[in-house]
Amino acid sequence: MTASFWRYTLLVAWKDLRIEGKSREVLYTMGFSASLVILIFSFALANATDPAQGPITAAGVLWAATLFTGTVALARVLDRERENESIRSLLLSPAPRAAIYAGKLIATALLMILVECVLAVLVGVLFATGVFDHVLWLALVLALGTLGFASAGVVFSAALLRSRSREALLGALLFPIVIPVLLAASRATACLFDPLAPDLEPVAFWTRFLLATDVIYISLGLWVFEPVVTGE
Amino acid sequence: MATMSTQPQTSATRFLATCAVTAALFILACKAIIDAPQEVTMGFVQKIFYFHVPCAWLLMLSTLVCAGGSVSYLFGGSERGDRVATCASELGVLFGLCVLVSGPLWAKAAWGVYWQWEARLTSSLLLWLMLVAYVLARRYGGSSARQLAAALALFAAIDIPLVYFSVRFFRSIHPNNTVVATLVPGMRGAFWLSLLAFTFLWTVLFSARLSAENAHSRLIDLEMLIDQAEEKKS
Amino acid sequence: MKMVAMAYGFIWLAVFVYVALVSRRLARLNGEMDEARRRIDQLKS
Repeated sequence: MTASFWRYTLLVAWKDLRIEGKSREVLYTMGFSASLVILIFSFALANATDPAQGPITAAGVLWAATLFTGTVALARVLDRERENESIRSLLLSPAPRAAIYAGKLIATALLMILVECVLAVLVGVLFATGVFDHVLWLALVLALGTLGFASAGVVFSAALLRSRSREALLGALLFPIVIPVLLAASRATACLFDPLAPDLEPVAFWTRFLLATDVIYISLGLWVFEPVVTGE
Repeated sequence: MATMSTQPQTSATRFLATCAVTAALFILACKAIIDAPQEVTMGFVQKIFYFHVPCAWLLMLSTLVCAGGSVSYLFGGSERGDRVATCASELGVLFGLCVLVSGPLWAKAAWGVYWQWEARLTSSLLLWLMLVAYVLARRYGGSSARQLAAALALFAAIDIPLVYFSVRFFRSIHPNNTVVATLVPGMRGAFWLSLLAFTFLWTVLFSARLSAENAHSRLIDLEMLIDQAEEKKS
Repeated sequence: MKMVAMAYGFIWLAVFVYVALVSRRLARLNGEMDEARRRIDQLKS
């Protein structure tokens, strides 16, 4: 990966982030939807009589809400290219297709992480878990989990750009693939939220698992993005 | 000319011969399964093993073939690769369903529960869900359905080593991969016969499904010819 | 015994249902191809 590859990657990411900075559409819609999902889960799973389940429930709710509403971020970041057929201009530009993928990945992941920071605090408040006990570890887990989700999500969202059943299909196709990411991220987060956890060894294990998954998914995404997005 | 006219006959003969071999293997396998000794702790219910494990093997084989076809389609533009991938995905769904039904039936008798969220069961379920997603993507994915499904197949292929090695890396209630090597002779023969019979069955089903897919492709070509001829006439 | 019968029974049933579906599809496709060939012959003549 050359300097020009990274230049194009950052250009694509910066373009999307600037557009989002003006409209804040993804931040508000994803943030609000995810908050509602968390509220719905906290009503549905109210188990105030069993505090031991608090960290596991909190972690599961956080990641479930993130994944369900993360498709909003994925859809919007790619949908913008469908409007006015700007995807064609993007593909005709000198930017390598892999750089377009990497730029979209970075933009989507950053937007999702911003929303997740707010969601983590909301979950901590509602489920009375120690969100700020291990902030750096939590930030790492959030980042790796989001990258894993977005790395597969950008490929499928781009592939569904011209499909009429886009909204229905994106979740159906993406969720089975990102379940390992969800599993590892929620396990690690549950341990971080648990004040009674003896050590952070499970967090280290699941973080390594997440890192390996991210490397594999991003490599695969870089490889298949071009034929998927240019094929007819 | 003579070669061309005998080609369909040759492939039909080959297909029928494979069907006959498959049927014979299944008869032998069933006899071997009936004659095989019962496992000491699990008793008679352990005989589900002789169908459950071959189905799991075919789930992984189908995913590999689907991924291989998808690679040749995505990066080589091979239409045949795309047809191979479609056929393999359906067989993966079929045999995956067989694994996910036979496994819990065995689990209920052996572990007392139909399902446990342990590594092998979870990763197998995920693999099956990804193949189901492939079939849905082919059907409803619109104009880029083939590329979408091909990408999905490659992500699904990553799950194969997870399924196979999960019992080694995660402490699991599921029997590990060394079980087959430690089978007593009566059980070993029945297992390998059953595995061979199922593999032949997969080949038969795959050939039949692929010929349907090839026929569909030829039909599309014929319909294009008809449209062109009608345009010329008008 | 019941679990073994159910497991084997399901697997055989699933395979036969799939074989039936593929056969039906193949028969339908062959019929459509014969029809398409007839139309081409008509258009040529």
